[in-house]
Amino acid sequence: MIDLLPWLVTAWLMAVGLYGIVTSRNYVHLIGCLTVVQSATYVLLLAIGYRWNAGPPIFYDHPPGTPAVDPVVQALVLTDIVVGATVSALLLALALQLHKKKGSLDPEALRPMR
Amino acid sequence: MTAAMLPPLPVALPMLIAAVLLTLAHVWPRRVPDTIAALTALAVTSIGLLLLLRAAGGPITYWFGQWEPRDGVVLGISFQVDQVGAAMVTLIGILFTGSFVFAWGFFDEVHAVFHVLMLMFMAALSGFCLTHDLFNMFVWFEVMSVAAFALTAYRLEASALEAGLNFTVTNSLASFFMLAGIALIYSIGGTLDFSALAGVVGRSGGNPVILASFCLLLAGLLIKAAMVPFQLWLADAHALAPSPVCVIFSGAMVTLGLYGASKLAWQVFGSDPVIRAGAQHVMLAMGVASTIVGGVMCVTQRHVKRLLAFSTISHTGIMLIGCSIFTAQGQAGTVLYMLGHGLVKGALFMTAGILLATCGGIDEIGLRGLGRQIRPAGIAMAGGGLLLAGAPVGLMQHGTTLIETAAAAAGRGWVAGVMILGGALTGGAVLRVTGRIFLGLGALPGEEDRSPTEAEQEASDRPLWLMLTPCASLLALSLAAPSSVETFALRAITPFIGAPAASLQSPPAASSHDYLPWLTVMLALLIAAYDLSRQHLPGMLIAAADASFRPLHALLEAWHSGLVGDYVAWIVFGLALVAGCITWLAIV
Repeated sequence: MIDLLPWLVTAWLMAVGLYGIVTSRNYVHLIGCLTVVQSATYVLLLAIGYRWNAGPPIFYDHPPGTPAVDPVVQALVLTDIVVGATVSALLLALALQLHKKKGSLDPEALRPMR
Repeated sequence: MTAAMLPPLPVALPMLIAAVLLTLAHVWPRRVPDTIAALTALAVTSIGLLLLLRAAGGPITYWFGQWEPRDGVVLGISFQVDQVGAAMVTLIGILFTGSFVFAWGFFDEVHAVFHVLMLMFMAALSGFCLTHDLFNMFVWFEVMSVAAFALTAYRLEASALEAGLNFTVTNSLASFFMLAGIALIYSIGGTLDFSALAGVVGRSGGNPVILASFCLLLAGLLIKAAMVPFQLWLADAHALAPSPVCVIFSGAMVTLGLYGASKLAWQVFGSDPVIRAGAQHVMLAMGVASTIVGGVMCVTQRHVKRLLAFSTISHTGIMLIGCSIFTAQGQAGTVLYMLGHGLVKGALFMTAGILLATCGGIDEIGLRGLGRQIRPAGIAMAGGGLLLAGAPVGLMQHGTTLIETAAAAAGRGWVAGVMILGGALTGGAVLRVTGRIFLGLGALPGEEDRSPTEAEQEASDRPLWLMLTPCASLLALSLAAPSSVETFALRAITPFIGAPAASLQSPPAASSHDYLPWLTVMLALLIAAYDLSRQHLPGMLIAAADASFRPLHALLEAWHSGLVGDYVAWIVFGLALVAGCITWLAIV
């Protein structure tokens, strides 16, 4: 059961995030939902790299060869957090500009060219 | 400099120049960033050509930091340049050079910010073409996306911002799907290198986790390639981005989604027969649907950039049909088609930009007859329209011939009919626009009258010749293909698809259907002529044709609702469809 838990959390986060995006009526809320979907991928990655009874992948005070969790997935997550922050910041900036121009954040009221 | 040092340059050079421009451009005179950016793009073109020559003997591999594999363990990240990748980098360099010249002085008010974003965009696109590591590919995918998001919304006008938001949300989902797919295959393989992963896939024998990974990666990349039902974001983004940016979007970015998908399908997942069979069917279905939906939407548009955007969907669909055949010949044809289409579509978006700058609008009906004083642009647009329709000259036509021959050899000769339909509809639409704007024909608008449009204008501070030169150069390059290019492509494709050189196929015999290209061109001319002469045709005929066509158009237009929630719902549906089909085919 405990092995299955991260996968269930991943699926749940992905599902609620997507549901939130599809039904959202406010862009700030929608951007929040997008980061929830992104968090699902982080949980997935960390779950894949996790090893039971292993320490962090830092061998400063451990001899090499000590069991450690997979550092590659942690590097992947870290890289994607940086990109994710950029995208969220850009999206929020766009939403802010749009609110200045149109006075609304409702996707229904903000359809391009219509 | 040795060939081994070349691969990182198309990425490193633009990034370095971008950093320099960002720090120094505000103290330099205005034309300096323009010049430096154009020269950088030219340098990337030359590096691409050099790589194309040097990779003739086999792929060039470059390990970053010299982290080469040791004892079969791959820890480093590598670029592997085959001739296909080098040709794509050359195309990217050419398109950026043209775009920088075209946009000369256009972005003065923001100093070099436009150039910095474009150079980062170019670095990311090049890196995406050359990389041999799955996560590295994802990083380039992200960098290209972020640069593209900022460039779309750059005008900070309401519509461009709305389109930018839709584009960002949908394409961010694409990268999340890709990352999830990468996580799944890493959980099985424990590596990210293409060759090492291919070995893992070959040994795993139909592992369902690898199947799921493929579905997620394919969906992510096909969202970028805007294939039905993932295509909804594209029309908004292309219609509202500045025209020099559209040149890159349609010419390179969308196509690269497809390039990435076919690269993974061959180089990583190619050894799994189940995935291959599933991908064949899914890609064929999506390609056919995209070709037809894109074509029908294209012919019913009045906003010229939106019209060209739908034609991109249609032609990318044709490329996906080429990929779906999964033979050397089909893939070689697809690559030629990508190169030819990139050049032609780039030139067409430039003519749209010329309209925006000189006529002060982009609405086909509003601009009727206003193009008379810029006739050379009309000639370029007509030429582009004929090439889209499939006139029997140039790179696109060589690609079409190879795809059609390969499809016939695989027992799917009927796809030629779909390709003719796509070419005729999109080519016909462009020819209709040319006739209406540059000749003043077509006083009575047809179905296109009901499509969305917007008043739009771009800075008119450049002489016409400066905008026409890059446009004409792109068209000339797409025409300048020697007849030996098919043989060349077939030879170049073998390392890309990982086939041993022994299985090299002989070039196809001259097509027995020499009349086919003329048939498409005739059909396109017929569509354009019908639309432009509505006021002279009997009213009964027009009314009957409109009444039968209108429900389809209304349905498709309603589908492209501009509502981001709808787009994401269709993306989820599309992912379920891809995964469902491939799983079902794996079980049966």
